[in-house]
Formats: sequence, structure tokens, C-alpha cells
Amino acid sequence: MIEPKRVLRALAEHWALLEPLCAHFDQGTLSLSELRQQVAAQQLDSTPQDITAVLDVWIRLDILVPVAKSPNRFELNAQIHDFLAYLRREHRLGLCLEIEAYLRHLERLAGHIQDAFDIRDGNDLARQLRLLDMRIRDVLKKLDNDEQALVAVAERAKTSDRQIPLRQRYAEVLATWDEYVEPMIQLVNADGAFEQGVRKVENVLLRMLTEQQRLGHIVDDDMLLRTHARILEMQTRAQLTLRHARELLLPLREEARRHNAVTRGAALALSAIRRKGLDAVPQAAMPMFTRPQSTFLGSASQVEAYVYALARFEAKPAQFPKAHKTRQGDAPKAPRTVKEMLDRCEDALPLPDLMTWLLEQEPDGATDELLYWFSRLSRDKRFARERLERREYHTLEHRVSLRSFALLSSAAAAKAAPLEPSASTAHEY
Amino acid sequence: MNIDLSEMSQLAPIFRELFKGFHISRRDPELYAQLSNLQDQYRGLFRALGFDLVCDTRGFFYFVPEQAAAQVNKTAQRLSLFTFILVEHLADQGRDPMAVLDGGSIGRDELPSLLEKYRDLFLQAEVQTPEELEEKIMRRMTQLGFAGEENGVYRFLPPMHRFLDVCLSVQQDRNLAASLHSDLPLPTPVLVDDDDIVVIEDNDESEEEALARAIAEEQEIDA
Repeated sequence: MIEPKRVLRALAEHWALLEPLCAHFDQGTLSLSELRQQVAAQQLDSTPQDITAVLDVWIRLDILVPVAKSPNRFELNAQIHDFLAYLRREHRLGLCLEIEAYLRHLERLAGHIQDAFDIRDGNDLARQLRLLDMRIRDVLKKLDNDEQALVAVAERAKTSDRQIPLRQRYAEVLATWDEYVEPMIQLVNADGAFEQGVRKVENVLLRMLTEQQRLGHIVDDDMLLRTHARILEMQTRAQLTLRHARELLLPLREEARRHNAVTRGAALALSAIRRKGLDAVPQAAMPMFTRPQSTFLGSASQVEAYVYALARFEAKPAQFPKAHKTRQGDAPKAPRTVKEMLDRCEDALPLPDLMTWLLEQEPDGATDELLYWFSRLSRDKRFARERLERREYHTLEHRVSLRSFALLSSAAAAKAAPLEPSASTAHEY
Repeated sequence: MNIDLSEMSQLAPIFRELFKGFHISRRDPELYAQLSNLQDQYRGLFRALGFDLVCDTRGFFYFVPEQAAAQVNKTAQRLSLFTFILVEHLADQGRDPMAVLDGGSIGRDELPSLLEKYRDLFLQAEVQTPEELEEKIMRRMTQLGFAGEENGVYRFLPPMHRFLDVCLSVQQDRNLAASLHSDLPLPTPVLVDDDDIVVIEDNDESEEEALARAIAEEQEIDA
């Protein structure tokens, strides 16, 4: 039997050495040499003998225990580890199954209480009530511990490296949700084991209060009322813990799920695009935005004026031409088609100068149109062309300097000498 | 609703940016603050003018084109493709795509390797060189307010959620998932390019003839 005072004294005396070791023991066991290194790192001026003495004390007081089948490795005694975790506010999430087991025990205790009352055994009734009360305290303690542990899970997820994949970062959150929160939701449900257990114990206690009024007191009413109050506290506490857990973890879980969905969606879209092209992504899914107007220029006042003008816009009545009115002046000429021009050109062969011919044909023609016909006709395969010297031509609006062509029919050209294959033009406006 | 224009001191820059297709987020603190404070007034004014202002609770504002005129353009396809690629690339590297695309950043120096790795996919978006990647995708992203560029680092802004939403809706699209496992062609949506569309009828008519005919038709209409 180890004297508690000595254990507590050793813990207090060596707290500075033990506290950093707790973090290592949370991760696993330590070998003797690792332990010596850790202690030496905390106590720089200590000799190897001092370290041996400290470790010896811990082992003798059962603060450190050898790992089963590995006598050179050590771990903290489980009881001490829990106590230190409590002192350090380090909470490890328990199992939902533990709470369920406690509840089953509470139900059994309620049965024992009922039995003790039925046989009017005051001592046993008081003992069972105390056991019930202590068990409820266990549940409360566990709920409190679990809530702290859940906060730590959420904090770890939120503060860990943003560069690691979310799946890894939130692995603990997802596991906690699946292994603790989800079963807790089932447990604390209106028809879940928690509610049923609480209801059963509550009914026994309330019936006993009524029966005591009728049959006389075996135990103090206050004791029954206190136990009843505590069981209601346990019920409220469980609901609060669950709500807190959901508030903490649900957003993180949703974030992780959304992340998974985004990654999967991107992979799916790329796979579709690889197989069926860019149009494979359904149009409905694509974002629509106003086309960028990169040429939009305007000072602030112009934009403002534009907005105000739009705001006060009034449509003007459209003026349609009247059916009975005849058109003033000549009807505009329809432009020539390529076929028409080619035919006319062919009929006029041989042409000593294409540009001169065009100017005769289209004296009112626009310069760009004439140049288009010049280019088009001179390149047509049915004509053979011969380049002329550069000279100036006068269209209606411009003076054009270019090297024109003499055109022959291809058949006639075949008999003649080879012709110039290309021509160059230059324009002066 | 009473709209007090004197209160809307940032009206002109806000309209100019939104009209350009820009997404206003906290990166433009003055514009964002005023839009947040006078959300209803701005929305009311813009609605009266025919612009639908979207106030996304994730911290950004943008104009959404009218449904009738809305068409998914090449830019939207390119930027979506880039998002898909980046999500996959980061996940492959063991990095957190959400952390990067939701306020994180990537360096310009990462782009060439990204282009190399996903060359076949970028080719579909007509992006073949790092310069084209910068020009057609990264510059567009900064122009539209999805990202900001500083000293060779692109920082992604909250409007990126629009593209992350695309990933989510693709993930929920059972038809798409099913079609990947079948050989049936996907129902291809009609997408309109940024460039103007010229409809060329496939007949014997040559380009010149078609052009001349088009001019003739136009002049007839004008007449």
C-alpha cells in the first residue's frame, strides 16, 4: 500500500518535470533512455545520479509503471495519468458506450431501490440511493470531460496547418462525429436509451415520494428530492453537451464534406471534359457574368450622366415610312455580285488595264469597293494577268497609287509567254 | 423605395466596375462598404435600370445578365476549366484546394508546370503557352475580380466561390456522372463565344459571293 501523501508530495515536488512528460505519455510509452533525456532536458544542472534518483522515486511510488511485456519501456500509471490530465485540463474524449453503460446501471439501481422500498429495508434503500447519486455524478463528470475534449478536437482542427489537406486536418473531427456525436444523438433522442433510463429512474423516485406520504417515511424526502434534481440535471447536461458538440463540430464537418464534394466535382468535370470536350460541363452549372467591356471608357461624370440618362429614358415614337409616299430620288443600286462582275470582266477581255476598266464601270464606286474588285478579279483563275507599271488612279474620293494588271483569258495566255505571278499594290489616301 | 443619390457617393465607380463584369469584394473596401451599407438602394436603382445586382453573402457583389440574354461564354468555360484543374492539381499535391481558392494564393512560377501537366485540357480552351495562360485566364480572372495579382503572386478572392459552386453542382449532377459511364453523347449545351458569330451556310456559294449577297441584303433592308 503506497501512502497517498507520499504520492501527492512527489507529484507536487516534481510537477515541473512531470507536466512536460505528460504530453509525451499522451502520445505513447517512453524507454528508460528517452525518459532520462527528457528529464535531463528539463533539469539542465542535474547529474545522471540525480536523474536516476528521481526516476527511482516515481517507479517506487507507482507513478511510472513498466509496460506489459516491455520492461524497459514505461508509462504513467493510468490513475495518475487521468488525475494529471484533469489537473492539466487535458480531456480525452470517452466513448458514448460508456454513458450508455452508466445508464443501464442507473436503471438497475432504480430496480434495486424499488425492491428495497417494497421490502421496507431502510438501510439498503439509503445505500442504493447513494450509489445512484454517485453514478449520476460519474455521468455528469464524464459529460463535462467529453465536452472539454470536444472543444479541444475542434480547436486542433481549426488551428492545424492550413496547407495540409482538409481531409487529414479534419480527420479527427469526422471520426469524433461518427464515433461520439452521432451515437450521442441516438442516445439522447426522445425515444433513445438516455431518455428511457432517466424516465424509469424518475418514475421510481416520484412513486416512492408518494408512497412515503401514504405508508410512512423510510428515508428522508430531501434525499429523494436531491437525487431527483440531480437526475434532471444530468438530463439537461447531456442535452447541452450534445448541442454544444453539434455547434462546434457540425460546421467543421460540413466544411470537410464540402471540400470533398468540391474535389470530387472538379475531378468529375475534368473527366467529362477529357472525354467529351469543354462543352461537357452542363451550361446550367456555369457561372454567368457580364461580358468584360475592356473598351469601356468614361470619366466619373460621364458614367453618372449615363446612369441618370438611362433612368430618365423615354422611348421616342418610331417613324415608319408611309405606304402611299413614293421614294425621292433614284433607288439605290444593289451591289454587284462576284458572278456578275466576273462575267462582265470576261466579256470585256482582253483588258489592257484592270483598274482603268473598273473606274469606267463603277465611276461612283467607293475606293474600298473598287480595291476589293481589283483584288478579286486579278486573282481569279479564269484570267491570266500581266503586271503594269505603277501609276495613279483617281476614284471618286481618293487618289490611289498601284501597279495594275492587264488581263487576258487563261486560254489566250497559254499561248503567250509566262506571266508575272504576283503583283504589289500601294495605296495613298 | 426612396433612393437618395447624394448618399450614393460611390455610384459612378461601382456602376463602372459592375458594368465591366467586375466582382466587387472586400479587396475594394470603399466600394464594398458602400454596397453593403446601401444594398437595397443600389439593388433598387440598378434593377430600375435593367441590371440585376447579386449580393452574395460570402462577400461579393456582381451583375448577373438577364436570363434571356445570358449565355455562357468562352471566358466562363476557360475559368471553370482552370478552377477544376487547380482543385485537382492541389489535391494531387496534398495541398488543401479550399484553403488556396478561398483566400489563398499561387505563384506565377507554378503556372508553367500546371500547363505542362494539363496540356491536353488547356488545349481545349485554346491555351497552349504560359503567355496564353496568363493572358486568357489569369488576366481575365484579375479583370473580373476573381483574383488579385501582386509581385508575381495571384491571390484568390471570395468571388471564386462562384466557380467552387460549379464544382459542387457538377458533383450533384447525376446525369453527368451517369454519362461518364456510358458511351452516349452528352447533351451539349449551346454556348456562344465572346467573338461575334458569323453564320456561314454550307452551300456552293463562295465567300465573296456570300459577302456581296449579304451587303445587297443589308442595303435592301436599309432601303
